[in-house]
Amino acid sequence: MNAAAQPVIEAHGLAKHFGRTRALDGLTLSVAPGEVHGFLGPNGAGKSTTLQILLGLIRPTAGTARVFGLDPWADPVAVHRDVAYVPGDVSLWPNLSGGEVIGLLTGLRGGADDKLRRDLIAEFEFDPRKKARTYSKGNRQKVALIAAFARPARLYLLDEPSAGLDPVMDAVFRRQIARVSRDGATVLLSSHILSEVEQLCDRVTIIRAGTAVETGTLGELRHLQRTHFRVTGLADPARLAGMPGTHGVSIAGSAAEFDADPGDLGAVLAGIAEPGISGLSVAPPSLESLFLRHYSDGNGGQRTGGKRAGNGKDSSERTDSGVL
Amino acid sequence: MSTLLVVRHTRSDEELGRAELLGSVPIPRAASLTATLLLGTAANLVLAVFVAGAFIAAGLPAAGSAAAGAAVGSVGTFFVALAAVAAQALPSGRSANGAAAGLVGVAYLVRGIGDALGTPSADLLHVASAWPSLLSPIGWGQRTRPFSSPDLAFLLVPLAAAAVLAALAVVIRRRRDVGASLLPERLGKERAGVGGRSFVGLAWRLQRSTLAGWCVGAAALGAVAGVLSPMASETVSSIAPLRELIARLVPGGQTGLIDVFVTALLGMAGVFAAAAGIQAVLRMRAEEAEGRAEILLSAPVSRARWLGANLFVAAVSAAVVSTTAGAAAAVGLAVSGTSDGPAWSLVPAALAHVPAALVFATAAAVAFALAPRLSILVAWGVLAVAIVLGEFGELFGLPAWLQDASPFRHSSAMPVESFNQAGAVGLLLVAAAGASLAAYFLRRRDLAA
Repeated sequence: MNAAAQPVIEAHGLAKHFGRTRALDGLTLSVAPGEVHGFLGPNGAGKSTTLQILLGLIRPTAGTARVFGLDPWADPVAVHRDVAYVPGDVSLWPNLSGGEVIGLLTGLRGGADDKLRRDLIAEFEFDPRKKARTYSKGNRQKVALIAAFARPARLYLLDEPSAGLDPVMDAVFRRQIARVSRDGATVLLSSHILSEVEQLCDRVTIIRAGTAVETGTLGELRHLQRTHFRVTGLADPARLAGMPGTHGVSIAGSAAEFDADPGDLGAVLAGIAEPGISGLSVAPPSLESLFLRHYSDGNGGQRTGGKRAGNGKDSSERTDSGVL
Repeated sequence: MSTLLVVRHTRSDEELGRAELLGSVPIPRAASLTATLLLGTAANLVLAVFVAGAFIAAGLPAAGSAAAGAAVGSVGTFFVALAAVAAQALPSGRSANGAAAGLVGVAYLVRGIGDALGTPSADLLHVASAWPSLLSPIGWGQRTRPFSSPDLAFLLVPLAAAAVLAALAVVIRRRRDVGASLLPERLGKERAGVGGRSFVGLAWRLQRSTLAGWCVGAAALGAVAGVLSPMASETVSSIAPLRELIARLVPGGQTGLIDVFVTALLGMAGVFAAAAGIQAVLRMRAEEAEGRAEILLSAPVSRARWLGANLFVAAVSAAVVSTTAGAAAAVGLAVSGTSDGPAWSLVPAALAHVPAALVFATAAAVAFALAPRLSILVAWGVLAVAIVLGEFGELFGLPAWLQDASPFRHSSAMPVESFNQAGAVGLLLVAAAGASLAAYFLRRRDLAA
């Protein structure tokens, strides 16, 4: 049984050029069986292009892609048999009801598990009788998610699946990921929502400008990261700038924010201790700052007092820690 | 046109959420509706002036021209108000447009029935319409008889009706919530039927309302062919140059003129069939461009099957449109009582145009497979060129090989000609080759947005 050891998804040097645009530029990706793999990157980094190549919808300009050991371009039907896909921007047939679309999408894959389908519709609080024309983005997303989860698959390819879902529905979605993962399925979850990947995924590949810049378990990636400090009530906040081990100190009144290297944490803690301090928050090395660093490294000079332009939709509950 | 304008500015605006933005501005709730009604009325006023001007320019009496313009304008205004009510009562721009267009169609039909039942004058140039015409707004406009005995008083009927309907629309708008409607959005089925779980089912589902439209057109053509051909052939026989022209348009036109007319109109129905087929195929491009093909093709079903399903529905569409035209012509001839052969033979005569229609559908498929972004242009362009070459080639004196490039040239122009088996088989072979070619190239290209 070599199938057990064989990665479910394996891509080497994957490149895709659309005219002069290089959507992908030598991407390498490996996803092991049973893994929930986060595929993290900003919009336009090449996440959707990668998924389309893995589905054999488009052909890579260079490099190889294998899904279940098969070339998806040469043998799409065999690959699709065990794949459930949720596209990033779900577009539906305006005159079909949600239930009809679910029936169509699962029907093309061999029919839905009826109990699963009913449970999913109930859990997602979805009204399958309305015409797709009237659905909001979140509801269209639900249609694709229900269709994907209403039938067991070996591999789930999810392109920014929770965009448009409210927090309650997001929790339902997470439970479904946990369920299929428990059943042994492999999940590739693309996202630019960091908290989502952080909570769901075993391993993460970070992609920027068409190449994987980092890959590993969350633990492996965290050690790369600096801890973020925010201290208020300092008598002389400016002195922190000169303290060894601190980076990117920004001062506003008696408050200071800075990052500290993991190795210097002891010294930094001792350094900030003074009688007057009124507040101290220490953010754990979050994936978000890791992500932002990878993103802004390419753009340079995006450190504007802790607020980054282009943070976009990523205003989850942890915005206050998304600081460099 | 009046109805489209109204729906676009009222219900569609609401659907797209623009009305919400406007609603937050300190203007009365029905302001945009009143503005639209005024705009529609103004547009019809311009139209009335234009029509009158055109008639006068064409050398018709000024008073009559003015009356005709006024008639067109007032009937248009009536439909503006009617569409406004439809937009208030129905939940979506699509349904409101459909209802308004349907009512316009009914108005035409009712008037048509009235005219058909009317008593023609001795010289066949005027028809005194029967009572059903008076039920139709178009009949009201017509009733003014602009060029014989102008009777403008009749225009008060559409105008008064317009005023009542407009007031009704405003009242509804004042009383309802934004986005709400008198009739709720119809709910769909909770789950897909057995047919709705396959590519063929989907293609059929997406095609059927368009197909119904083409069938209405084909039925109208067929009915015209059946009912009017006897009448027209009488008229034409008395005008020598016209007879010659018709004879040239339809090759081998030595047979009865009725057959010539029927043949010509069934040929037009053949164009309808081709168009319906092309539309079924081009729907794939819409699926691709609007991002739905991606989720469809992630299913374990090959692209060739997807293409095949749509081509199958295209073929069915072409056959249904042709059959409708043939059957309508047969019924029409039977009703007018001038059938000189078995009327049912017109159904196979109409079906003789299906092979050519299939060639156009597969040509559209090849275009879709090779150059998706150009496919819409190419598919309709091919049809247009073929019509020009095939139907008018002789008229323009184009070289024979160029005329023969049009698939229409190889269709059997029945009942004037007999069935050309070689031509039909040839067309079917070309269509089959096109389908395989399309499947081959579709397999080898990226999905494009």
